[in-house]
Amino acid sequence: MNPVAWQRFLQLPMPSRHDVDWRHLDLRALRLERVEKRTQPARVTFRGQPPTGVIFGKLSGHRTEANRFLGKAIAWENRHKFVALHEALWEDGAVVLVPKNCRVTDPLEIHYELPNHDSAAFPRTLIVLEPGAEATVVQKYTGAPSLQAGATELFVQPGAHLHYISLHQLAPTSFDFLIKRARVAQDAEIDWVIGMFGAALGRYDIECEMEGRGGSSFMYGVGLGAGQEQLAQFTHQHHRSGDTTSDLLFKNVLRDRAVSSYTGTIRVEKNCNGTNAYQSNRNLVLSREVQCDTRPVLEIESNQLRCTHGATVGRLDDNQMFYLRSRGLNEAQARQILIEAFLEPVLARIRVDTVRREFEELIRQKIIR
Amino acid sequence: MSTPVTELLRSHYKEGFHDDLPIVRAVPKGLKHEVVDYISDVKGEPDWMREFRHRSLDLFLKQGLPDWLPGLRDEIDYNEITYYVSPVEKPQRRWEDVPEEIRRTYDKLGIAKEEQKLLGGLGAQIDSEMAYHNIQESLAKRGVVFLSCDEGLKQYPDLFREYFSKAIPPEDNKFAALNSAFWSGGSFVYIPKGVKCDIPLSVYFRINAEQFGQFERTLIIVDEDAFCHYVEGCSAPIYTTNSLHAAVVEIFVKNRARCRYTTIQNWSTDVYNLVTKRAMLYERAVMEWVDGNLGSKRTVKYPSCYFLGEGGHGEVLSLASADRGMWQDAGAKMVFMAPNCTGRINSKSISGRTGRASYRGLVQVRPEATNCRVQVNCDALILDEQSRSDTYPVMEIKGDLATVEHEASVSNVSEEQLFYLMSRGIKKEDAVSMIVNGFIEPIVKELPMEFAVEINRLINLQMEGSVG
Repeated sequence: MNPVAWQRFLQLPMPSRHDVDWRHLDLRALRLERVEKRTQPARVTFRGQPPTGVIFGKLSGHRTEANRFLGKAIAWENRHKFVALHEALWEDGAVVLVPKNCRVTDPLEIHYELPNHDSAAFPRTLIVLEPGAEATVVQKYTGAPSLQAGATELFVQPGAHLHYISLHQLAPTSFDFLIKRARVAQDAEIDWVIGMFGAALGRYDIECEMEGRGGSSFMYGVGLGAGQEQLAQFTHQHHRSGDTTSDLLFKNVLRDRAVSSYTGTIRVEKNCNGTNAYQSNRNLVLSREVQCDTRPVLEIESNQLRCTHGATVGRLDDNQMFYLRSRGLNEAQARQILIEAFLEPVLARIRVDTVRREFEELIRQKIIR
Repeated sequence: MSTPVTELLRSHYKEGFHDDLPIVRAVPKGLKHEVVDYISDVKGEPDWMREFRHRSLDLFLKQGLPDWLPGLRDEIDYNEITYYVSPVEKPQRRWEDVPEEIRRTYDKLGIAKEEQKLLGGLGAQIDSEMAYHNIQESLAKRGVVFLSCDEGLKQYPDLFREYFSKAIPPEDNKFAALNSAFWSGGSFVYIPKGVKCDIPLSVYFRINAEQFGQFERTLIIVDEDAFCHYVEGCSAPIYTTNSLHAAVVEIFVKNRARCRYTTIQNWSTDVYNLVTKRAMLYERAVMEWVDGNLGSKRTVKYPSCYFLGEGGHGEVLSLASADRGMWQDAGAKMVFMAPNCTGRINSKSISGRTGRASYRGLVQVRPEATNCRVQVNCDALILDEQSRSDTYPVMEIKGDLATVEHEASVSNVSEEQLFYLMSRGIKKEDAVSMIVNGFIEPIVKELPMEFAVEINRLINLQMEGSVG
């Protein structure tokens, strides 16, 4: 256990509705008593055939190589309570380290099967692409723990190219807190697709730090909420260097009594001319009981740049429904087509066919059924 | 006492002079219950108002600032401020009766008597009190009431009490509580059913005293099917100390009525401008806020529309220009509580020479507000590397029957546009000026003519020397 972080966890108050960031979220069902006693390791399985030289396996088996990077992508201070909890209690996880100029063609898959029932898990993932390397990494989280607080650190070094897909699908009784942060160096690129498909409350902090000229980050996300699930997304696009590009599209579909809250920040520091930053959050609401908040924030301190954001909340379009019905489709079919069309721009970014099909199947089960 | 910096600012800000006016009444500085009693005594107020003021002062002392609002925590020393200063005895109906020194001040500001020909009514407040308040005969005959807020309380006690603090109670926020404790001056407007008051009613607010707090209070009731356009302007001298302006504006737009409220805020850069403005819209009412913020050290102001009745329409057109020493924290709020309402927010901001412009907004759709539609557009222009622009919109939607759209963009004066204009033989400075004027055009065209001219002049002044 990390005693400093544990103290921080104990001192941070339980988030409440008076907190701007947690305004419509309800944490009352989360039981935190004796959380350290309930900690159980997640079972990790690895799939994929990396070429020699690539480190791909459990974090505990490669600590010497990992130590150079571990803990250096995420700034741990001034975070919410559950990030401190992860920092205090994490023990193991997975690592992918691709050496210089190495191209991994086969997707590498890390699957965390989380322990069930009254247990807590704190997996840490470290992904490093050394200069000029290329890889596709798929991360999956499944299971029904009462609590998960995880972290993924991503380093994309100069000229490297990472395609990163992450799929979160826990039981509707699980509380899921994940932080992911990428440091993107000069001329490096990261293409993200994050699927947030279920949890009693899922909070996802997804951040990119643009540190070198010519770097780019394309962040795509799809979130689904059904029943009484709560989905909280916090994205941060931080431009510390000029001539960098970040783009973001988060699409959510909400039904029943789901709650969603999106907060996205684009921050451009001084002397970052030539920045292009875009951010878009689109929400499709399928029921009257849904609560949907969106807060897109811009903080800009440079002037030679182009920066836009947009957010919408809407329902299925009556005219489009009518058109499809008039072509002989029944209501369920028409809805399915429109929902799938709504999510297509995100799904199209998944470059691994099997994973894309998995996303589509989960969307069908959860939202369209 | 003036430093070279204030001297420099003064040369740009033509309203930055101050006059030595004889003080008729004043109180010692500081936040005290005795000051509340003094104000209540001088105004001869009913007991309920005195109690309301005392309760509000207690609320102010208890209340913290909202956690989403940055800054302001240790910036203002409330005990160094004077809460009531009056250079006049009472508002005059005839311009000739206004004391000569004050007339001179207003002449310098260009609020000359000639302007009255264009206006349905004119009010002029200096420090805590109205020096002049008058309405055209023809409007008075149709039952239009346009008085200073204090006179409103005296002459229409029941109507006043029915609406006063009903849109913005002192509990609403810290600065509303401060205003509720020390309010003085402002306007009381009543437009009777079906009366279209098509010539604007105008009020000019002037701070002359140093380290002073101006707390005008405006209450506007536009009865069913009526129309009213209210215009306010403001300015203050440049001192080296800070002043405070915390106004409260409450507007009630009854069924099928329409109200337009235009503000051109041009405070000097030592004024904290912390204003609460709210309109309550009844069935099919229309409210339009046209809000121009060009001055002040820090402005915190989000004109709001609360939709209480079906089919209302609200609009906020916001223009902010943040020059050196300014932080324009402007925006808008729309709260939908009834079905079939529509809203539109259009914000344009410019920041230059270390200025900071922020858009902060809230769109809230309650579950009962079905079929509402709201659209928000924010555009920001950053003129140089030292300046800053922020956008902080919040959208909270309950239910599936609303359509909410928000778009924002931040950019600089584009090289291509500049190149094009310069290739046509236009000087760089003029080219930038043309581009900026084009950028704010959609809002400026909604302003009354005199204001539009004034805004263009001010923006051009702010641009001077800003392009290297």
